[in-house]
Amino acid sequence: MKKILLTFFALSLVLSSCEFDKGFEEMNVNPSKASQLDVANKFASVVLQTSGGRYENWRASLIYQSVMIQHFSAVAGYWSGDKYYRNDGYATSLWDRYYPSAVKEIEDIKAQLTSEGNTGSEMGMTRILRVFIYSRLTDLHGDIPYSEAGQGYINGILKPKYDAQKDIYMDFLKELEEAVAQIGGSTTLGVSDLVFQGDTAKWKAWGNSMMLRLAMRLSKVDAATAQAWAEKAAPGTMTSNAHIAMIKHTDGPGGINKNGHGEVFDADGNPRMSKTFVDWLKDDPRLPILAARRSDKSTAIADLIGMPNGSTGVTVPDTSIYAEPNRNVITGRAVPMVLQTYAEVRFMKAEMAQRGWSVTGSAQAHYDAGVKAAMQMLSGLYPNAAAVSDDEVATYLAAKPYDASKGLQMIGEQYWAATLLNEYEAFSNWRRTGFPVLTPVNDPGNVTGGTIPRRLIYPTGEGSTNKENYDAAIARQGANNFTTRVWWDK
Amino acid sequence: MKTKFLRILSSFLLMFAFGFSVQAQSISGTVTDENGVPLPGATVLVQGTQNGVSTDFDGNYSINASSGDTLVFSFVGYTTSSVVAGSSATVNVSLEPDNALEEVVVTALGVKRNIKAVGYSITQVDGSELSANKTSNAINALQGKVAGVMVTGSGMGAKGSSRVVIRGSSSLTGDNQPLYVIDGITINNSNLGSAGMWGGADYGDGISSINPDEIESVTVLKGGAAAALYGSRASNGVIIINTKTGAGTEGVGVEFNSTTQFDMVNLSLRDTQEIYGQGRDYSKVADNIDNYQAWGPKMDGSMITQWDGVSRKYSLQPSALEAYYRTGETYTNTVAVSTSSENSNTRFSMTNMANTDIVPNSSLNRNSIGINNSNKYGDKITVDINMKYIIEAQEGNPQMSDAPGNGNFSANLFAPSINVMDMMGEGGLGRNADLTEFRISDSSYSQNPWFAAYNFINSSDKERFIAAINARWDITDFLYVRGRIGGDRYTVSKQNSTPWGTAYQMKGSMSESEDTYRQYDADMFIGTDNLTLADGVSLTAFAGIGTNNQKYEAYRVSGSDFIVPFLLNVGNTKNQGHGYSIWEKQINSAYGSAELGFMDYAFLTVTARNDWFSTLSQKGKVAPNNDLYTSASLSLVLSDALDLGETISFLKLRGGVSQVAGGANNPYALSLSYGIYGQGHLGASLGNISGGTIPNSEITPFEKNETEFGIDLRLFDNRLSIDATMYDNETLGDIVGVSASATSGYGSALANLGNISNKGIELLIKGTLIQTEDFAWNASINYTNNTSKVVATNDAAGNISMAEPRSRNIRVTHIVGEKYGALYGSSFVRDASGSIVHEMVNGIPIPKVGGRKILGFGVAPTQLGIGTSFRYKDFNGSLLFEGKSGGQVYSGTNAYLKRNGHHKITVPAGGREAGFVPTGVMADGSSITTSIPVAQQEDYWRRSYLIAEQDVVDADYMRLRSLSIGYNIPSDKLEGTFISKASISLIGRNLFFLSNSVDNLDPESAYNAGNSAGLEYFALPVPRTIGLNINLKF
Repeated sequence: MKKILLTFFALSLVLSSCEFDKGFEEMNVNPSKASQLDVANKFASVVLQTSGGRYENWRASLIYQSVMIQHFSAVAGYWSGDKYYRNDGYATSLWDRYYPSAVKEIEDIKAQLTSEGNTGSEMGMTRILRVFIYSRLTDLHGDIPYSEAGQGYINGILKPKYDAQKDIYMDFLKELEEAVAQIGGSTTLGVSDLVFQGDTAKWKAWGNSMMLRLAMRLSKVDAATAQAWAEKAAPGTMTSNAHIAMIKHTDGPGGINKNGHGEVFDADGNPRMSKTFVDWLKDDPRLPILAARRSDKSTAIADLIGMPNGSTGVTVPDTSIYAEPNRNVITGRAVPMVLQTYAEVRFMKAEMAQRGWSVTGSAQAHYDAGVKAAMQMLSGLYPNAAAVSDDEVATYLAAKPYDASKGLQMIGEQYWAATLLNEYEAFSNWRRTGFPVLTPVNDPGNVTGGTIPRRLIYPTGEGSTNKENYDAAIARQGANNFTTRVWWDK
Repeated sequence: MKTKFLRILSSFLLMFAFGFSVQAQSISGTVTDENGVPLPGATVLVQGTQNGVSTDFDGNYSINASSGDTLVFSFVGYTTSSVVAGSSATVNVSLEPDNALEEVVVTALGVKRNIKAVGYSITQVDGSELSANKTSNAINALQGKVAGVMVTGSGMGAKGSSRVVIRGSSSLTGDNQPLYVIDGITINNSNLGSAGMWGGADYGDGISSINPDEIESVTVLKGGAAAALYGSRASNGVIIINTKTGAGTEGVGVEFNSTTQFDMVNLSLRDTQEIYGQGRDYSKVADNIDNYQAWGPKMDGSMITQWDGVSRKYSLQPSALEAYYRTGETYTNTVAVSTSSENSNTRFSMTNMANTDIVPNSSLNRNSIGINNSNKYGDKITVDINMKYIIEAQEGNPQMSDAPGNGNFSANLFAPSINVMDMMGEGGLGRNADLTEFRISDSSYSQNPWFAAYNFINSSDKERFIAAINARWDITDFLYVRGRIGGDRYTVSKQNSTPWGTAYQMKGSMSESEDTYRQYDADMFIGTDNLTLADGVSLTAFAGIGTNNQKYEAYRVSGSDFIVPFLLNVGNTKNQGHGYSIWEKQINSAYGSAELGFMDYAFLTVTARNDWFSTLSQKGKVAPNNDLYTSASLSLVLSDALDLGETISFLKLRGGVSQVAGGANNPYALSLSYGIYGQGHLGASLGNISGGTIPNSEITPFEKNETEFGIDLRLFDNRLSIDATMYDNETLGDIVGVSASATSGYGSALANLGNISNKGIELLIKGTLIQTEDFAWNASINYTNNTSKVVATNDAAGNISMAEPRSRNIRVTHIVGEKYGALYGSSFVRDASGSIVHEMVNGIPIPKVGGRKILGFGVAPTQLGIGTSFRYKDFNGSLLFEGKSGGQVYSGTNAYLKRNGHHKITVPAGGREAGFVPTGVMADGSSITTSIPVAQQEDYWRRSYLIAEQDVVDADYMRLRSLSIGYNIPSDKLEGTFISKASISLIGRNLFFLSNSVDNLDPESAYNAGNSAGLEYFALPVPRTIGLNINLKF
């Protein structure tokens, strides 16, 4: 008996001396992950996230905006923007992808730089890129989570409030002003800066150019504020095509390395050049660079016919006779993704002058320089693009000289042509200026009453995951549909 | 926590200390049954004292007693016998079987108990019952058989995953499937790949690779009281599977079993319109853009140039589903050799299963080897060794859900005037002469079904080894030590390819991965069986420690843009990538159980277990990483305690309260981590935050509490039995990913905030209707009703979002106060009287798209199984009807069939030409007077497709789940042959529905077995199966 009791007591002693969770703390550390990274690694990543993947470049950029804005046209039913159909997943694709990637990462970098006490170029560059990311989102959707967005881990905010677009824009402009001021000298980001390769002067120019872009955006809703900020921004903007803000891509090895648009063109043969665009490009040296006939890749001007938007299998039995984006030139996977060009800057300055705002240079001078930059940048962006000579530019301008009486329209149309494949910008500028004047299509299945959409919708899932804030945004801005106008478009 | 455990341990020790007082003289002998077979573990007690011993393996005992003492011999299931000790030092006793119950069940940790002593619901299903109900996927044989257990198979048959949920889902977002214990060792049941919103293929789960032919019995431990000793992983119940052994074989036995099964798509479910052909807006369009559109005029037999430029008749073509799917074939052949001797028994089996699926080019081949060996070393040591080695090759696993690569998508949607056989292309492989996809749609994202089947690659090779050693050492006649160690280890190599020439990815891509998973369990416990503490008071108890360690490691290489077409080598791709992941987790445990029996009619069992979780451990963490939980259950056999008369053969009341705790399922969830991904870009390396869940460093274990009461009543000499259970459980502090707006940058945040409850009843009625020598007829009914309730999700009572289908207008969502798994989606706008509100769009009334609301619940609360079996001389047969009700399903396939003009609802009475007046009202409350002209009806359905409500329907059904008719060849006919036993049976599964509330589909169609029940979107059809089984013994 004693033996048994002893056995049991011995056993309990053994048990009590056991540490039942020995080694558990070490076991629960992921051996294949890091607990923090250098900002440089994160910065290169967030730049590529900003350029975006195939997903949102396909849906938000091409399937909706490029055909709404009549750069392109498509017959296939899933090209929802061509006929103003509703496809929730497509319409919210930028939102769905940006917030969990570019937004999350840029907020993470900003928080890390703040905690590291960085007040120099790195912080300035981060703030400019951050404004760019959110500007795409707010221009497309209106009121969006901004001041509380991307902070699920940093500040434990699971349901960010939607900021009014007006407040977001005021903060954008302030951010850009401060960011430009803190950039200077060199940066530790260097090779990780996939936009300007560590050239801080170019960053300052881009910061000012973004300030100009966002200032001009307000011209319709609040011209005085637009003018004040545009005049502040204009002197420090880009000065040549060497200043173009763009992200260079390579054809692999992974999807992340490739130009998202290029991946789309690889997989999707549907897009054609819109009749609206091709007709406008008549006598424009850019036409054979940008377009080629689908059936035989011909770039002979006579062979380049645009396909009307709103076409269906009934109205267009054979789509191969039409021009498509030139697959030898602009649709590659290794071409850069453009964020903002020098040409745009000159067109905005032309508009400033045309509006009588204070800016160095005449409207015509800016317009002519803008056209030249827009035509000549193509050979810089696309290795297979034929260079447009100064003579060709001069011939074009001689044939279509700047006419101040139609100044805003001419500028708007040139801006539209120059922002091909930066569909976010083309769509925003059209909404603001009304140029080019586009004729909407009227397909029976449209959800806009036969008008070109004025925004893309919010994900309706926000109505369950972030109900209060989502409802408040809709109450403030208007119904969550394609025709509600964002604040600066009112 | 440690002190808590010690307190419990010391109370066990006290119980032991009670039992003994030492006396002088020794009496020994053997206790046997009525046939002279020794009874090991029988109790010998000196009446009126606390002096008692148990017999050893050979029924021998030795006890100190004085002459004149009364020795009381007792054994579970036998009548107690008393003998007065005389002068002889030897007393041999033979016990008579108790007329009452002698049903022995396997309880937690493999402890065998008489059903009398068990204070909770436990269901055992014999292998013979399962083999009558043959399924190529073992666990699917339980469908409709066990009250409280809901099994949903998949259309993938032999190689598909199954969803098994016991007593409702107890975790909002975690795994809800039970723990599987095979031959005493827990196995992994991870899903090896499944389809989600964006498509994908099912690669089966852990249990699907278990050989159905070798299952001896399946025991289901449903509640916490039954399962608590298995620890945290048992919070969803436990399914114990024992495989066949050589025990009882006379000499050497050879057995051959062969099953042939044929799977056929049940086309009788499909009922779509066959009047209107391909086209749009009531005009004939025959281009490839509109192949899926059945909005053309009536098919009139005129010639029309079709999608491929070939002129054909505009007339009804054979069913694409019938043409595309083939008859699946499964051949299962097992050879087993067994032998048994006094001290050992062994069974060796080999099985080959060769399966071709209903989907072209999809197949499975599995070879299983099993060895079960049991050996006795001397009197006191027994060692059981069980080993299983499984090699499995899956090929052509079909893509499901989203359209890309999903042949089922296109096969479902071709307009009735289109013939899928025209699409076979070169060599029937759906290709052009240049080997690119023979495109049938201008949408590059839906494939030619033949191309999808024959060119997409989803294949896997799996090698699995499961082994266990169980050893028992009887230290003394009342004290034993048991130890067990076992492991489950498998390697899965997968190959996937989007082929070169695919419309949406012309240059193709591929990936190869190798996942290695291993887990081991080790346990050691010390205990006593049926120790007599006092007259009429017995103790069965044990205490032990255990550990479970799981480790996973995966390598993946991938590439896109093949350089040489169809050369499947990642090195042959232009853009290459690679991935690596690893995790490890462990649970350590200390546990104990004590069962006190009073007068052999009342039994109280208490258990306690403490688990420590590595997944909840982190340096500096304040909250505990472990939890102690307990259970108590009481069994009262009233038929033994009282005289209840002749009618009642057995009556037991039982009740239990239990607690089971669980840790975080995923390791590394307590802190944020970063990773470097890709291969850099232009010299820069790329790094970002890993994972989309916000970590929480203070996560603690969750607890599941359960109360159950039950009654086990058997009447008329056990010919009618009623077993009923009521239970009520609640999971507290469930670790959930609290839903976060995507704008927070994350999909969810981890927190101990979930709370879900389930209440239910389980009823099993069995009756022997006729029992004669030649004829026996049995019937049984089992009924389950479970009501779940999401009590809490997070501090703000927010919704927890689960999966959504590709249409993205509905989502499985857990909503506070509602049942588990609400189908939450876009709805009709209705007026005060409930009429659907319409708006005028382009001159026609179209329903307005309303906000999201609860449209149904994806999990059926009620299950009914009605089975019957008969035996007439050498014939036998069985039937099982099974039904579920009360749940709903969102049918994405039907949504598309409506949108594209296939569904019969798109043909109004009188035909489309007669116009269509929607039911409902206009926004101003006026009734709808506009009749939608034929050319605009398409617009109506195209727009109403956005409204998920129209496609959420009841998923009620009652079907003939299984049918078998067998014949045992009489032994006299076998005399003189080398065959000793032979039987043959015909089997059928899913043959027909008695009722089905879902149009065109099997209500159980789902594209995965996860927590998002209630979503259907171009999943594989559940086939009908017929088969033949032959069993020979030599």
